[in-house]
Amino acid sequence: MSLFSKFLKLSGRPLTSRRIHSATDPEGSSRRTWALIGRPLRWIYWLPLGLGFTQYFYTLKTVRGRSMQPTLNPDTSSWDDIVIFDRYSINSGEPIRKGDIVALQDPINSRKMLVKRVVAVAGDIVKTLPPYPDAEVFIPEGHVWVEGDEPFRTLDSNKFGPVPLALLDSKLMYIVWPLDRIGPLRPPISPVSKRGASRDFRWYSDMAAFEREQRRQSRVTTRSTTTSHS
Amino acid sequence: MAGPSMLPTLDNSGELVLESILPHRLFPNQLGRGELITLTSPVDPSRIICKRVIGLPGDVVCVDPTGLKAHSTEHVLVPKGHIWVAGDNAAWSKDSRDYGPVSMALVRGRIAARIYPLNRFTVFSKNATYIEH
Repeated sequence: MSLFSKFLKLSGRPLTSRRIHSATDPEGSSRRTWALIGRPLRWIYWLPLGLGFTQYFYTLKTVRGRSMQPTLNPDTSSWDDIVIFDRYSINSGEPIRKGDIVALQDPINSRKMLVKRVVAVAGDIVKTLPPYPDAEVFIPEGHVWVEGDEPFRTLDSNKFGPVPLALLDSKLMYIVWPLDRIGPLRPPISPVSKRGASRDFRWYSDMAAFEREQRRQSRVTTRSTTTSHS
Repeated sequence: MAGPSMLPTLDNSGELVLESILPHRLFPNQLGRGELITLTSPVDPSRIICKRVIGLPGDVVCVDPTGLKAHSTEHVLVPKGHIWVAGDNAAWSKDSRDYGPVSMALVRGRIAARIYPLNRFTVFSKNATYIEH
């Protein structure tokens, strides 16, 4: 019975009959009270399902900070990026590939979450950037090397070294906001310009992303190339 | 429990222990030296391992007093946010001597007590006794 019709029924009766009604029907009065307060509380029923979904499947979060510029939070955007994180692929044991952007727990301060790009996986040799004490690092089994796209202002593996896979929390798969960069995050590939079409801003930014990826990968020697030289 | 790396404290197989996870989730920075902890293995993220805390962040730890995996005079400074763990059975344990200091973010909780077999029931305390020179 809808709330509105119930209210009409209550208000339409004279006072005496309403008192008699409640005296002979005690459960009816509690049912009415529950109907008045219960409807807004119905969302609690869906809470465990919702929590389970965001913990094990996909979740929506905001990315703060400048360490992944210009891929995420570029200077041209006035809002922080809102993205979808994919927890399912990490939980299902899918191998992490180079070029994925992942969210991981900060190894130094476990309460913080960092968003960085996986540059090298176990078995690769990486030429490191300045804050790191050694010039070259061999990534041990079960670890990855993560770096922020903005090399100047980032807290990444060049400060704390290779990260164990257990600290990786989720993969970034889709940007939801802002709308001009909405879409899945794809690995940067060399843009193909249509014949006769002038190279526009989009072509230049895709080319710049591709060149940045090449420069990052030039510092990494994968396991297969090292064995072929030996 | 399974594995020889914590002999003689914990047996190779056939034992049940009580793992206490909530106090570590609430207060992650209250780890004591000598505590038995459970952590996710830094080498294999699907395995949970049990080791003893030897060094806290800032401590200078002797890497391997037995001299098996490193020279017995080699020392290392444990970086911030990391701990040095070691198994009680030095000959059969893969621990920080192999993979270095582990991040405190990998720690799950501590072993509170051994509950099976019943004739070897022990409660593992958090306080270690220090031997002074």
